[in-house]
Amino acid sequence: MIETMLVLFAPILGGFVYGLERITRARMQSRIGPPLLQPFYDFFKLMDKRPMMVHSLHALMGIMYFVAEWFAFAVLIFGNDLLIAVFFHVLAVLALVIGASSVRSAYSVLGALRELMHMISYEPIMVLLTIGFFLLTNSFNYRDILNYEGYPVLELPLVFFAFILTIPMMLQKSPFDVAEAHQEIIGGPEIEYSGPFYEAVYTAKWIEYIYVFFFVFLFGGSHYWLGILLVIFTFIFINLLDNSTARLDFRKMVKFSWVFLIPLITLNLVLIALWR
Amino acid sequence: MGSLVALNIVLPWIIALVIFLVKKDIVTNWLTILTLPVLTFISYLIYIHPMPALIQTPHWVGSLITLYDYGLLGYFLYLGIKNNRIWVVALALLQVLLLTLVLIMIKENPTPNIYVDNLTALIFFIVAVVGVPIAIFATKYMEYEEKDKHKFVAIIIWFLGVMNFAVSANNIEWFFALFETTTLASVVMIGFRKDKEAIDNSMLALWMNQIGGVAILLGLMALIKNVGVYHFTDLLEFNGSKELIIAGLGFLSISALVKGAQMPFHKWLLGAMVAPTPVSAILHSATMVKIAPYLILRISPIIKGTLLSKLLVITTGFVFVVAAIIALTQDNFKKILAYSTISLLGLMMLAAAIGTPLAITASVLIIVFHAFAKGFLFVEAGVLEKVFHVKYIEQMRRLIERAPLTLMFIFFGFLAMTFVPFGTFVGKWIMIEEASNFLTHGSYIVLILYVGAGSAFLSILYMKVLGISVRKAHGISHVKFVTLPKRFNFVSVWYYVWILTITIFIAPFMVDVIVPVVKGIINSPVPVENESLSLVIKDSTLYFWQIIGALVILLLIHALPYFVKFKADIVHPYNCGENFPRYMSTFDFVCIQKIENYLNVFALALFIAVIIFGGGLL
Repeated sequence: MIETMLVLFAPILGGFVYGLERITRARMQSRIGPPLLQPFYDFFKLMDKRPMMVHSLHALMGIMYFVAEWFAFAVLIFGNDLLIAVFFHVLAVLALVIGASSVRSAYSVLGALRELMHMISYEPIMVLLTIGFFLLTNSFNYRDILNYEGYPVLELPLVFFAFILTIPMMLQKSPFDVAEAHQEIIGGPEIEYSGPFYEAVYTAKWIEYIYVFFFVFLFGGSHYWLGILLVIFTFIFINLLDNSTARLDFRKMVKFSWVFLIPLITLNLVLIALWR
Repeated sequence: MGSLVALNIVLPWIIALVIFLVKKDIVTNWLTILTLPVLTFISYLIYIHPMPALIQTPHWVGSLITLYDYGLLGYFLYLGIKNNRIWVVALALLQVLLLTLVLIMIKENPTPNIYVDNLTALIFFIVAVVGVPIAIFATKYMEYEEKDKHKFVAIIIWFLGVMNFAVSANNIEWFFALFETTTLASVVMIGFRKDKEAIDNSMLALWMNQIGGVAILLGLMALIKNVGVYHFTDLLEFNGSKELIIAGLGFLSISALVKGAQMPFHKWLLGAMVAPTPVSAILHSATMVKIAPYLILRISPIIKGTLLSKLLVITTGFVFVVAAIIALTQDNFKKILAYSTISLLGLMMLAAAIGTPLAITASVLIIVFHAFAKGFLFVEAGVLEKVFHVKYIEQMRRLIERAPLTLMFIFFGFLAMTFVPFGTFVGKWIMIEEASNFLTHGSYIVLILYVGAGSAFLSILYMKVLGISVRKAHGISHVKFVTLPKRFNFVSVWYYVWILTITIFIAPFMVDVIVPVVKGIINSPVPVENESLSLVIKDSTLYFWQIIGALVILLLIHALPYFVKFKADIVHPYNCGENFPRYMSTFDFVCIQKIENYLNVFALALFIAVIIFGGGLL
């Protein structure tokens, strides 16, 4: 029951997270920030706008991005295998990239290509992350992780550390907001969307929040309070990082992921495998 | 049974001969089309037979094959001398010498020379269902500004017969003969246009594949000398110390790596692109390169757990990732496909070398799917080349307007190569989950890194190519539906429907087709189940609703753009108010080209490690 609710209301929940994030970020910059419901006000405003599009393919891909993202989250929650959910996430990226590549706009195309760079940075980490959970519980089912007696975050500290540094890549936060890069390529893949079609892309990102924070929550194991604490910690940490760092080159992002994060996770996995 | 297998082998040879001699359009076309149901039916009859089957052959066949060996090597020698290639000559002479030594050492062995198990039957089936449509495609393809259509189609069909023979050989000496025959077929086909480039590349293919031949002969010598057996079945039943046969198996693995175009011996497969496109299609999908994973699968129960298997895993996994990365730097469509074949062959062999039931399942599944998807993609590459005159990915711009149907097929082929819920994905998924179990035993983490990274790189490769081809400025109203020749459409739709059907029914397909094959190879239970069309592997499930959901999403993404028209105002791209770029390039990843040579050297080092340490030569 709670699973169905979670999947059904994922976009709304994500909207609240996003609203909260805007407030948090504003407070960090000594501003008051928008009201909590601001994302939803934006949502209604966008829905109300005159629908304009470059062409149907582009608009459709925006909607498919949203659908695929939601479906990936449903696969994560209803399915019994984390790894499959990770692979389903690629479908959403596919829709976004195809859509962004399909318009004659330098910013959009560049954003799409950079989105691919994002993917090779975080995709292997996600795979390794699921394997980390597998090593603890001998199962790829997240329900087993939620019943796990130990403290995953203590047994997979390096994985957790690497994962929270990967989150900026997945959620387009500084220093790894390479694909969106508002001051540089003006939103990248989303630049050519407008009105209701933009709203689809916009809402898809809210689901992405829930998707990512769900993985963070899993690090708490059967201790839900710990999971919630970790989510809160990660949330604040990400925003702090976003506020205090400048954007890096995409090459640096890929290098950081492959030279630093992946070896770190690998080390943790090997150690835990040997220890067990 | 024996007569069925013989028919399956001989029939393509006869059809090829008829086509070659008659040289009439109507005969070529109809006979080729007729071959499809006939071969499919025969392979079905073989498939429903009780397996495995050992078939005795008359004595004269053996002598004939030995004679044929010498003739073949003599022909290679002739080719080398004619084209002035020292390597070809040297390797041919070396093989003549080694073959003579083998024949002196060899002792009479009563084991039957033909062995048909489920794996063989499956490959028969792939040859019929994936291979023959390429011949049908070729009958039309060769009518576009090409010469010698009949000869070409005849060679393709003959090649299918050779492949059928190669995968049913039990005697390794016979296998050598057929291995070299496939080399011959590829040389003839790559050099088909007879210009300088074609000859160069065919000679490249010749000497590289001859290394494989030398390796088989050396392996054969080692096996005969140490234990006196030279049949696959005898090897599988061998009870003594593994150290006696490991050297022979090491050499056999090397020949598989060469045949499977693993780096640094990948250049010959890339060279195949100068030939007419059906050649690439046939080499990549149903025949030739599939011998490589086939050979590893044959020996995988013996090498399981040895150092050889671990080194094979490291080598092929390295190639899997590196070939995918290098593919990113390429700008020729056929080259991109070739690199992705090299890469996926690495994955197939990696899975086969691990040798646990699930890993072998993954390997066989990827073989099947790769055959379909690559045949499909190369057929579409041929259509692009002949109908739309597109060879490079930069020419693929706006393909969505110019060639909507072909792009849709290419899109689908790419999806089938890597995305959920297609077979290649299932293969990778099984591989990762299987490898996770070994982290407790040893350091299989590299393998997971390989699979995770390689699949990510392949995905971005395909997305990059697709991104170029969908690029367009304005509405979709300018789409031109070009009428394609019937035979092209038939072949495309044939592959499309097969891939789609197998994907939807992947759970029953796995349980009823793949699992018997795996049981035939390794003879132990395979934890794969079909629960009302959901695929259950151990504790994990790929639910049917997930399969259908992913398929619907992907169908919407790749086919719907032609049919969906939103009622919204059409505007120009915003592009920050700047001028529209007239020309947009993509990332070309030149930074990788710089290290390509180092990667090749490293791959060569791994090769040597496989044979020296894996084969236990020290």
